[in-house]
Amino acid sequence: MVESIVLTGLAIGCIYALIGITYNVMFSASRVFSFTAGTLGMLGGVLGSLFIAQTGMPLLVGFFLVLAAGALFGIVTEIVAVRPVLKSLDQHLYVLSTLALALMVQQFTAIEWGTEARPFPRLFDIARGGFDQQFWLPMLACAAVIVCLELLYRHTLVGRAFLAISEDNYAARAIGLPERSLRIASFALAGVIGTLAGFAGGEMLLAFFGNAPLLTFYGFVPVALGGMGNNRGAVVAGLLLGLFQQTANFLVGGIFASVAVFTVFIIVLLARPEGLAGASPQRRV
Amino acid sequence: MPTLAAEPLLEVAGLSAGYGKIRVLRDIDLTVGAGEVVALLGPNGAGKTTLLRAVSGLLHWSGKVRFAGRDLTGVGPRDTVRAGLVHVIEGHRVFTQLTVLDNLLLAGYEMPRGERAARVEEVLELFPEVAAKRHERAASLSGGQQQILAVAQGLIRRPQLLMLDEPSAGLSPVLVDRVLLVVQRMRETGTAVLLVEQLIAKALALANRVYALSRGSIVLEAETSEADLPQRLEHAYLATVR
Amino acid sequence: MDTAAKFRPSRANVLGSASTLGAALPFLGLLLVGIAFPLFGGGYWGVIATRACVYWVLVSGLNLVVGFAGQIAIGWVALLTLGAYTTSVLVAGNATPEVPPYPALAIAAVVGAVFGLIIGLPALRLRTFYFAITTLGFATIVTQVALAWQSVTGGGVGVSGPIFPPPFSSQWGFYYFCFGLAAICTWMTANIAASRFGRALTAIRDAEVAAEASGISKAALLVPVFLFSGAVAAVGGGLFAALQSYITPDAFTLDLSVLFFIAILIGGRGSILGPLLGTILLTVLPELAAPLVAWSTFLYAVLLLLIVLAVPGGIAELLDFKNRRPLETGRAIIPRPELLQQLLSAPRDAGALTLQQVALSFGGVKAIDGLDLEIRPGQVHGLIGPNGSGKTTTLNVISGYYVQQRGAVRLNGVALPELARHRRAHLRIARTFQTPRIVGSASLLENVMIGGTIDGEGTFVESLLSLPRHRRDEAMLRKAATLALAVVGLERLAQVRADRLQHSELRLTEIARALMLRPAFLLLDEPAAGLSAEEIERLGALLLAIARAGTGVLVVEHHPDLIFDICHHVTVLNLGRMLAAGSPAEIRSHREVVNAYLGG
Repeated sequence: MVESIVLTGLAIGCIYALIGITYNVMFSASRVFSFTAGTLGMLGGVLGSLFIAQTGMPLLVGFFLVLAAGALFGIVTEIVAVRPVLKSLDQHLYVLSTLALALMVQQFTAIEWGTEARPFPRLFDIARGGFDQQFWLPMLACAAVIVCLELLYRHTLVGRAFLAISEDNYAARAIGLPERSLRIASFALAGVIGTLAGFAGGEMLLAFFGNAPLLTFYGFVPVALGGMGNNRGAVVAGLLLGLFQQTANFLVGGIFASVAVFTVFIIVLLARPEGLAGASPQRRV
Repeated sequence: MPTLAAEPLLEVAGLSAGYGKIRVLRDIDLTVGAGEVVALLGPNGAGKTTLLRAVSGLLHWSGKVRFAGRDLTGVGPRDTVRAGLVHVIEGHRVFTQLTVLDNLLLAGYEMPRGERAARVEEVLELFPEVAAKRHERAASLSGGQQQILAVAQGLIRRPQLLMLDEPSAGLSPVLVDRVLLVVQRMRETGTAVLLVEQLIAKALALANRVYALSRGSIVLEAETSEADLPQRLEHAYLATVR
Repeated sequence: MDTAAKFRPSRANVLGSASTLGAALPFLGLLLVGIAFPLFGGGYWGVIATRACVYWVLVSGLNLVVGFAGQIAIGWVALLTLGAYTTSVLVAGNATPEVPPYPALAIAAVVGAVFGLIIGLPALRLRTFYFAITTLGFATIVTQVALAWQSVTGGGVGVSGPIFPPPFSSQWGFYYFCFGLAAICTWMTANIAASRFGRALTAIRDAEVAAEASGISKAALLVPVFLFSGAVAAVGGGLFAALQSYITPDAFTLDLSVLFFIAILIGGRGSILGPLLGTILLTVLPELAAPLVAWSTFLYAVLLLLIVLAVPGGIAELLDFKNRRPLETGRAIIPRPELLQQLLSAPRDAGALTLQQVALSFGGVKAIDGLDLEIRPGQVHGLIGPNGSGKTTTLNVISGYYVQQRGAVRLNGVALPELARHRRAHLRIARTFQTPRIVGSASLLENVMIGGTIDGEGTFVESLLSLPRHRRDEAMLRKAATLALAVVGLERLAQVRADRLQHSELRLTEIARALMLRPAFLLLDEPAAGLSAEEIERLGALLLAIARAGTGVLVVEHHPDLIFDICHHVTVLNLGRMLAAGSPAEIRSHREVVNAYLGG
């Protein structure tokens, strides 16, 4: 029983952490929190089910198509909902534009895909055991993303350009960094990470349009608690959140578990609006 | 055989710029010739930084700006850097979370990799105190060293014109001299420099020509060889409209 | 010169009353249409109309939170849910003895008020996006609780809604009930919009720092707003339950929350008519064609995106014909300092404002390093120095925005305590900002009236119900603001939207707003920046006149013109310390000053 709670908690925590990282990557590039992070997660599951289960594509092809779709949605988000409002002094506008875009995609999915949660295909033909792929797939995805981001930021010039843009946008522009292309690339990257989270967690969360608001909220908790733009904080907070949620689930049942999570979240946030890790101006993996 | 360019390297005419509704610069005319060092002086709030930002494309402007025969209307900093016009911004802003080496590599982001690495080494040779810390985070450098790093970043792309915004601000006298020595060396190698400075005496010692900016307009233009320049400058700044 | 005769009611005032009538016309029109509706609308459309009224009851309150206060409360449907279930459960007698519908509705209103406050209060601590997410969380929680608490709410099965007794039991009877409540809500929120509370809300939304400097307390202001909006939303919930006649948790979807929120944004922030029309539009839109119903939320989202990208001001901006009229170009601003006597007529007995060895560091940087300064009433004191010398920081310490780490700020010899930022205004210390902080979408007059917010005596409830004290406050503030605008020379532009005006005009608007406090001390942060030579001269004359009227004026400046012309004393700062102090003549010839100033 404990094993099941821990496994489920860690697995779902990884999904939340990845959505948190999605938020962070978009934030680092633009100082904007986008409502589309949760929607990306939802799309990972829905499109995965669509391509592989329904259309019958081979696993790898379907997988890459899903990630490509995520990258595309990320880019669309930047062009349509972020760039136009960056110039405006009105702070609230980006919240509304990304909300509008996220809603459009969610509603479209609800209508075309349906409001029922549909099963996500089993990706590998391995027998179900204790440590089943629905648990280790999200964990693998999370670990892979962390490693890749680390490599990106430490060992490629592009990654370091991302770090530069997020630390000091003005100085980055002044020395001639292609700020706009880098921002678009960041949003594409965020799109890939978000859909990967949904894809890896598909078996757990199912292909369900309602995952979008769920992940929008639960994916943001790691960001709020771990500190804006702090990916390490997001991972730690995400895992803790997953474990806490599953424990509460077990102890008081599903509905009150949500209440518990939310209450704790609000209390922590009000006590420390900067997050538990404190405000971190540096972007790190 | 190159003919003598009739057109100055940088030509600014009727430039106006500001922030939102606030007009800071009114109708600025300014030129910088190839290989010249031009000092831009003026009290705070005069618009010196705004002028540099406009020319390098960080800010919207109206009027006319031509660089190396090319019209810079609507051109942003990425393209002005490509064209050979580099702006080292005020406040020794470097990327503190990245190493010195990374800071320099990023300045050469759009260069081919081999050329970039070689150029970074070349520039580091000019600044041994910074080269010694090449693998350290820029955050561990002192303010003065960060300023030197910022100037070094500006040199990576081999600019024809380097614009420096108050490079001496906050530096100890020793480091000020170090930085201004670099400027002198650049004059010797034929790079033009537009230097915004607060230290009048030092700027005048280095420059060929000087402009004084006050309240958004050019109030003085002279060769540095001209007599009684310091008094004329003081008069230009503090003179009231009446 | 007979000052009374000089101050004739300006055209702006006359136009003001005409425009009030003009503003009321659309509401009157809607009122007539609404009353007459049953005559031409069929049963189906009657349901739609009733639904629109019910939604508007909620949206009218939410409008104050979202449209006026600028808080992104996306999850406000939680209160609809609460109100619906509270009313229904009380009437059905599931948890308590059966309660008649009207008291049930009243109880729901109280519950709504309390929860409105609970949901809204995090806004005081959290950033925009964070707050939006928490309201979403609340909405989810409430729905889930409704689902889980089966014994009381019937869980997934639901519970029947209340039925109101005759004459409101029939379809049209109920329609008039809801319509009546909607009309009352419109009236009440319109009263707030045209009160110092409504203006203060927009100030918090668009110019928070300026609101603080005018003495407005965000917390004190938002509490009654959340209470009211919560109550009204819960009442809407009760009506909703009655309309649906049977409610289940999945009636309260995120879609509904989005509808409310988008109605306000489409309508335009800071308006009552706009969101009203927006609510009607969004309620009616899906009904126009069958396929639209399924796509309704998608359509709302598309509309929202279009509004954000193309017309951020929403319907209100589209209907703002008054502000489409072109302004005269080349308009000159001629301040009339002679009117100051009328504005600053009350005697002020403040002694000097002194700084004594004040020090403040940010991180390792000493912004101010042991500064002594004295500002005397009736004099203009200039504060100059190079960039980074600590001028603006000093001004911020005096205005209470920063608290010094060492030393004291004394008024009349008494050290000023460390207070919340908005308290300094009560000491009649007013200020302006380097970049004008104004409410762009409001008129100049409204912007200036914000400056006098703390002089109003009426409470929130009195404004809500347009009671006499509220109307007295309004008349008083309007008169003072018009006079202040006349002093700075802008009275002809009183009705113009602030964001249409030039920078120099906005600077003077800030001064007019500061004058509303009848300040003992007026602090100006680089007031001459961006002004032409002529404008600087007029500004100088105005500041001298303000000083002569008894105010102590502090001017932080770069421009030597202004400083040397009008200051009685000048203090020169360098690196956070006083470099020199004295009369302008002394300072001009002071060698060190010249050097520091020129950076030699």
